[in-house]
Amino acid sequence: MTFDALIQRPQYSIPQAEKEAVLLAELTRLSQSHRERSPEYARLTRVLFPGSADPHNLAELSYLPVALFKEHFLSSIPESEIFKILQSSGTTGQTPSRVVLDRETAQLQTLALSRIMTSVLGPNRLPMILVETTDLIRDRRQFNARAAGLLGMLNFGRNHFYALDTNLELLLPELKDFLHRFGGEPFLIFGFTFLVWTRFYQALVDSGLDLSNGILVHSGGWKKLQEQAVSAAEFRAALRKAMGLTRVYNFYGMVEQVGSVFLEGDDGYLYPPNFADVIVRDPYTFEEVPHGQTGVLEVLSALPRSYPGHCLLTEDLGVVHAVDSSACGRFGKAFSVLGRIPQAELRGCSDVIDAKVS
Amino acid sequence: MQVEMLLPRQRMIALEELHSLLTGTIAAEPFHESIVDVSIDFSQRIFHDSEARGHPELLALAYWMRKAEMIRLTAQFRSLQLDHRVLTPRGLVFHLPPRNVDTIFVYSWLLAALTGNRSVVRLSPQRSESTSILLRLLRESLAAAAEPSSGGTTIVSYGHEAEPTEMLSALCDARVIWGGDQTVEIIRRSPLPPHAKEITFPDRYSLSAIRADSYKDLPAEKRNYLADQFFNDSFWFDQLACSSPRLVVWCGTGSETRAASADFFRRVAACVERRRYVLPAAASMQKLVYTCSAIINSPVEECRRYKGLTILTLDSLVGFQRSHPGSGLFFEVYLESLLDLTTFLGRRDQTLTWFGFTPDELYALVRRLNGRAIDRIVPIGQALQFHRFWDGYDLLQEFCRCVYIESTFLDVRPTHTNAPGRS
Repeated sequence: MTFDALIQRPQYSIPQAEKEAVLLAELTRLSQSHRERSPEYARLTRVLFPGSADPHNLAELSYLPVALFKEHFLSSIPESEIFKILQSSGTTGQTPSRVVLDRETAQLQTLALSRIMTSVLGPNRLPMILVETTDLIRDRRQFNARAAGLLGMLNFGRNHFYALDTNLELLLPELKDFLHRFGGEPFLIFGFTFLVWTRFYQALVDSGLDLSNGILVHSGGWKKLQEQAVSAAEFRAALRKAMGLTRVYNFYGMVEQVGSVFLEGDDGYLYPPNFADVIVRDPYTFEEVPHGQTGVLEVLSALPRSYPGHCLLTEDLGVVHAVDSSACGRFGKAFSVLGRIPQAELRGCSDVIDAKVS
Repeated sequence: MQVEMLLPRQRMIALEELHSLLTGTIAAEPFHESIVDVSIDFSQRIFHDSEARGHPELLALAYWMRKAEMIRLTAQFRSLQLDHRVLTPRGLVFHLPPRNVDTIFVYSWLLAALTGNRSVVRLSPQRSESTSILLRLLRESLAAAAEPSSGGTTIVSYGHEAEPTEMLSALCDARVIWGGDQTVEIIRRSPLPPHAKEITFPDRYSLSAIRADSYKDLPAEKRNYLADQFFNDSFWFDQLACSSPRLVVWCGTGSETRAASADFFRRVAACVERRRYVLPAAASMQKLVYTCSAIINSPVEECRRYKGLTILTLDSLVGFQRSHPGSGLFFEVYLESLLDLTTFLGRRDQTLTWFGFTPDELYALVRRLNGRAIDRIVPIGQALQFHRFWDGYDLLQEFCRCVYIESTFLDVRPTHTNAPGRS
């Protein structure tokens, strides 16, 4: 089996052992190619992971911490081949990540995302509600990862309807029109988790609207919702109860591995697509931990050709629940993301008063 | 506005009231019996407190405040008062200790109090467990103390507000700013009275030097002891104390230094494991990111990673940046002799902890540096041992004014008389 087969075969259909064998060969080849083309990557892996050129399993592949893309521009292509540079939205005050794409990687990302999304949306474009304002993509100066994520999803819909006004208030009459036209057949709803909850669900909770033909795809993390004490399970249950929305798919992804997203199955767990995987590591020893144990998530993807981002240690905590034994028929690892690693304060002589210069 | 007062009693206090409280008391005689007794009593309370027992840094503090040390310090102070000189308290000292090295505020306060000063200490609203233990025990000690030392110490707590800092700065006779460059810069926006003195503790960098041939001669048990001492120097405050070593310099021939380093850090790693040093996950991740950046930015030729301990071997010190994440990461470099460090060292470099050098080698380095760098040279194991000599200051002296007295009255002779020998 080859990389093409991983992409082309139905997603989530390959048993873990078989998939790992192909991925190991593919990712080892990618490591080698990045070593040849990125001097920084070559130096890093030589010093940090001596003897990693011949890994025996996915956990032995050299990985980089994802935050490194904030501090360094890591590229495996000459400047003439740069097609696009992606930038993470980055919370205020943080340096954004910069990820360099060539045409090949960009195409692979589009293809990969399509293979993942069509596995739940079907092959045809669906009428689409975007829980967003058109301002997001109109203002090119603020063109960020959120906008890029939105643009990536537009391809899976038609008759796009932006459901929020510039103040992020729900356009209820227009929404009713949309449902009147398209609500009788499957339609797609896409938005960032927090907006879906606060601007869509909360505005509609008592409206009695029927969205049972909708398929909701949402992403963006749970941090803000955890502050409001809303868990993933409560989120799903609330949408089901209020508007009959049962097909709800969260996904986990990042700008450093666009296209390689981890989509929720019907059982509420996340699943890696055929060409990607996750490893959970101990944050202290960086050894892989047994399934069921919480640790730092490493994400692996066979897509990144133009930058050495095929094995990345994230700053998120996660846990693998089961392998090849999902109730919704998916093969591979079933896992959850438990949010960011909590920030901890170290001791030291500095900082009598926080560096808040007001 | 109001701030929280933690000592003498815990309550909210308006700035105006705090102002009058601080202007009301007078300074005491330096090394008055009552303050020496407070120190000894406080030390005893820490030693016997069940909560304090779990904190080695508190025990080190108690050891430093014990009776024998107080007797020694009293004698040292007396010896500072040479002919024509009387050391007197400055008056009110305003201390701004660092948030995260819990014991500093006690060292800073005690040296000021011993020299007779009144003190007002600002603590952060975020206080660690060991700070709370110290406050509780200090409150008990001062409540039991005799005059004049029972008064004269005020501890307050507030956040980033400038107003209390402005008020306390305008009121004090000396201000002590711990906590690094940025804090110094922020606090300096609040003016001091013209006569007042300021003692600052900016960001510092510290390193260790080991002579490889001396290390080679050590039997195994002494090597373990040295590794243990090095662990204490480095890990007590997650390697973020300014005197904790961050760079290790091996002096000697190529093969000797490498062998010594390999052996030494294996023992340190064993110690990290034995002492169950655990980093928070976020700090551990930050350390990995820092390691990667260092490999890209610096001439790192090798990286050794143990559990909780990372060693990055540098090809050379040329252009080496002193940024550091703390949490058990060491750079190392191999040099022929200690004097090879001369060009590298600079103003930021504070403590050099050493093993295996002769006194001549250490003195030669200081003379060669001639004030450009390094304020402390102590054996490995004493990096965190607080001392009246710190950061290039003698704090006993700094907390005092020096009054000069000429007590011999020279007779005034009438100008018209012929002075002897002039005729």
